[in-house]
Amino acid sequence: MHKPPFLAASMLAIALTGCGSTDQPQVIEQIVVRDPGDPAVVSQPVSDSASAIIALGEDTFQSCKGCHQISADARSSAGPNLFGVIGREAGSLAAYSYSDALLAIDWTWDEARLDAFLADPGGYLPGNEMLQGAVRDDEAREAVIAYIAAQSE
Amino acid sequence: MNDLTPGKTENSRLSKWSRRGFIGAGVLAGGGLLIGIGVRSGNPIASLAPKVAAGAGEQLVNSWVKIGVDNIVTAIVPHCEMGQGAHSVLAQMLADELDADWGKVRVMQAPADGSYVVNDTARMFIAPFTMKAAAWLEPTWDGLFTQIARLADGMITGGSSSIRTTGQHQMRVAGAAARQMLVGAAAEAWEVPPTEITTRDSMLRHEGSGRSAPYAEFASAAAEQPLDQSPKLKTTEQYRLMGRSKARTDIPAKINGSAEFGIDAEPEGLDLSYAATIRPPVPGTRALGMDASRAETMSGVLQILNMETFVAVVADSYWQAQQAANAIVVEWSASDSPVKTMADQYAVFAAALDEAGESGGSEAAARGDAMGALADAATTIEAEYRVPYLAHAPMEPINCTAHVTDGKCDLWTSTQVPLRVRSAVAGTLGFDNDDVTVHHPYLGGAFGRRLDPANATMAARVALATGYPVKMIWSREEDTQKALYRCADTSRMRAGIDENGALVAYDSVFTQRHDPAEACVPSMYDIANTSVRVAEAELHLPFQAWRSVDHSQQGFFIESFIDEAAHAAGADPLDFRLSMLGNAPRHKAVLERVAQISRWRDIWAEGTAKGVAIVESFGTIVAEVIEVDMTSGRPVMTNIWAVCDAGFAMNPDGFRNQIEGGIVYGLTAALYGELELEDGAIVQSNFHDYKMLRMNEVPEITIGIINSGDIPIGGAGEPGLPPAAPALTNAIFAASGQRMRELPLAKQFA
Repeated sequence: MHKPPFLAASMLAIALTGCGSTDQPQVIEQIVVRDPGDPAVVSQPVSDSASAIIALGEDTFQSCKGCHQISADARSSAGPNLFGVIGREAGSLAAYSYSDALLAIDWTWDEARLDAFLADPGGYLPGNEMLQGAVRDDEAREAVIAYIAAQSE
Repeated sequence: MNDLTPGKTENSRLSKWSRRGFIGAGVLAGGGLLIGIGVRSGNPIASLAPKVAAGAGEQLVNSWVKIGVDNIVTAIVPHCEMGQGAHSVLAQMLADELDADWGKVRVMQAPADGSYVVNDTARMFIAPFTMKAAAWLEPTWDGLFTQIARLADGMITGGSSSIRTTGQHQMRVAGAAARQMLVGAAAEAWEVPPTEITTRDSMLRHEGSGRSAPYAEFASAAAEQPLDQSPKLKTTEQYRLMGRSKARTDIPAKINGSAEFGIDAEPEGLDLSYAATIRPPVPGTRALGMDASRAETMSGVLQILNMETFVAVVADSYWQAQQAANAIVVEWSASDSPVKTMADQYAVFAAALDEAGESGGSEAAARGDAMGALADAATTIEAEYRVPYLAHAPMEPINCTAHVTDGKCDLWTSTQVPLRVRSAVAGTLGFDNDDVTVHHPYLGGAFGRRLDPANATMAARVALATGYPVKMIWSREEDTQKALYRCADTSRMRAGIDENGALVAYDSVFTQRHDPAEACVPSMYDIANTSVRVAEAELHLPFQAWRSVDHSQQGFFIESFIDEAAHAAGADPLDFRLSMLGNAPRHKAVLERVAQISRWRDIWAEGTAKGVAIVESFGTIVAEVIEVDMTSGRPVMTNIWAVCDAGFAMNPDGFRNQIEGGIVYGLTAALYGELELEDGAIVQSNFHDYKMLRMNEVPEITIGIINSGDIPIGGAGEPGLPPAAPALTNAIFAASGQRMRELPLAKQFA
C-alpha cells in the first residue's frame, strides 16, 4: 500500500471549508432607537409599574454580579449572598467572612439603610470592604433594591 | 500604442518569463530589485492553481521580494501571523539564500485588498513590462486586476504549510535568484568573472580587486540580469541562518503590548459603534421574531436588528450592546435535525456503522484480505472508540470591524483567509471584490476557527443596514456555542494477531473523513491485511478544520488500538510498533530516539507508567511518550517526551514551540474538551466549563529534533497534536489496566 499524494487534496479542502457560510443581506426588522452622537433618550420606563422597576433593577444589578449572588442556595463569593438581605441582621451570614466594620454594627438591613449604604458605602459605613459598586443614581438605586427584594421572595 | 500581444517579445526581458518558471523580476519605482515568485511544481499549493488560475498560461504569483536602495530586503508573503512565528522564519530562509544582513530583512504580510499588490507592487512590477506584457497576464489593466484578484484568493494560512511551501519554494528561490542577479550585475560593472565575487551580510566583494559594494548599489542593475528559473539553492552545510534558533521578530511587540490584533482595530477617522450578536442556538434555525422591548430602553443602544440568520444590537460601547443583547428574547424556527443530545448524535453514527457492518461502507484504503485474515487469526480483538465535538476556543474573541460607504467596504479582522473573507463579503453585499478591502492584523490564536468568514459577512451586513462603522464582537459564549466545530465521531476497530504475536489484520470503520485524506490509514506499519472504511453519517453541528483536522481523532483511534493489539499480543507496545516499521526507517529512528530519551527500557519509577504513540501528519513524524502517576486514582502527568522528524527544522526553537503548543492543545482536548447538547444546542459556554489545561497540569516537555534531511520538509503547527491523546491514554492503561476508549478523560476520573 503506497501512500497516495493526499497532501495536495487536503490543502485544498482546508481552503474550501471556510466558504459555506455566506450570509444573504436581508433585514427582517430594524429598530432605530437613536443615532450615534444623539443624547441618550433617558426614556426609562414611563410606566412605574413594579415589573418595570424590577427590570431596571435587574439591569443595574448586572454590575453587582461580579461579587454578589442572589439566590437561596447560592454561595457567597467576593461579597455575601444577597438573598433575603432585607430583614437580615447585618454581618450575620455564617459562611461569609465580613469586615470588622460590618461585624461591629448591630442592626437589621431594611430598604432605607440599604439605600443610604448603596449611595455611598464608604461614607455610610467606614471601614467596610465594599470598595466598588456604589449606585449613585437615585432611580437606579431604588430599582436595584426592589430587584433584591423581589429576588429574595 | 504599445504592443500588447504576447509572443512577439522574445528578445525583451520578458523572455525571461517562463510559463513553467513562475518567477520574474523587475525594477522598483525609485530604484531597486523586485522579484515576483509564484507557485512551482511540486508545491502542494499548486493544487490550488486550477481553482484560481484556470486559463491557459495563467499562473499563481503570491509572494514578492524587494531589495530597496536603502539596502533593506522586504518579503511580502501571503501568510498571516497567528502566533506560529512563520513570518520570522520565512525571513530567515530568504536572508540565508540571499546572504543578506539578518538585521536588514523584513517580512510583510501581503495586504488582502489587492490594491497593494496591484497598485504599489504589481504596478511597479508590471509597469516596465506592460508595453510587452507577459503571456500569463491579460493585456489590459482591467484584466490584470481581475487576474490578480482571482489568483490571490489562494492566500491561506493553514495546513502547517508556510515554511514548507512559501519558505522552501518561494523565499529561498527568490533569495538565491536575487543573489545571482546581484552578483551578475556587479561582475559586469567590475569586469570580473561572477565566480570570483563573494557575498555576505548584504555586501558584494571581489577579493582580487579589493572592491566591495552594498547590495543596494546594484539592486536596479540586477533587474537587467538574466533570470535563472532554477537558481542553485544552498546545501545544508552552507546554511548560515536556516537551522538556527533566531529570535522571532514579532515577540517584542507582543510582550510590550503594542502588537495589534484584529480586535484592537480603531481605524483613524471612524467613529465606531459596537455590535453584539445573537446567533441561532441550534444550527440551521432562523430568527422568526424578537422581543426587544427591554433592550430598547437600555442605555447606549442605537439599533436592534433582526437579520434572520442572527440578531444584532448596535450601541455606543460593546458592553452596552452585549447587555442589551442579553435582554432580548428571540423566537427561533424549529430545527429539523433528529439530534437533540450527544446520545442522539452517537446513535446516528451507530446506525451508519451498523449498516456498514463488517465489510460495508466506502473503502478508504485496502491491502491484502483483511476480512479473511481476521477470520483466520489466532487472536482477534475489537473495540469501539468515540470522540466528542470540540470548539477551537481561540483567545482573541471573534470580531470584525466593518465600514460600508459609497459602494465600498473596508474590513478589519483577524482571519486565516483574508481573500476568502473579501470574496464572501463582496458576494454578500453584491459588491465587486475590488470594492472590498480587508485589513488583517495579527491573529490571537486561530486553530482553524478563523477559516470561516461568517463574522465578516455579519459585520458587513450590520454596517450596511445601519450606515455606521461597526465593530462587531462575538461574546465568548457565542463563539463557544454557535460556531463551527471539530466533528464528533465513532470508530469501530478490529485486529487479528497470529500465533507468533504479529499483527496480521487491521480493520477500521468510522463516519467522518474530512482531511487530510490519509489521516485514517496506518500506512507506516507493515500490516499485511488492512482495511479502512468510511460509513458516512450526518453531523448535527457544522464542521470546521481544527488543529490537525482528521488526525486529531484518527491519531487517537489508531494509536490506542495499536496499543491494544500490542497488549493482546503480549508485547511491549514500543517494541511491537518497532517490529512493524521495517519499511519506515525514519519512523523507526524517531521511535528509537523517543525510547532512549524517555528511558522507556529502564525500570519505571514507582507508581508511574509510560505510554507511547507515533503519528505522521503534515509531513512530520512525531513520537511522544507520556509518563503518568496514577497513585491518586487520577492521571497526573509527570513527564512528556517528543521526538520529531520534519526533514529539517528551519528554526529549532520556533519548531519546538509549535510542537509544544500542539501537545498542550491536544492534551487540553484529551482531558477536558467536550461539547454537550441539550435540545440540539451546545451546553458549554465559556472557559469555566470548556476548560484549558493549566500551567500546573503540564509537566516538563522534552523535545528532540531529528534532521533526517528528507525533503520535502514537514510542517510544525499541527504534527505535535495527534500523538498526545493516545500517548496519555496508553500510559493510563499501562498504569491502571483501564483502557480509555472515549474522550475527554478528566470527568471519567472525577
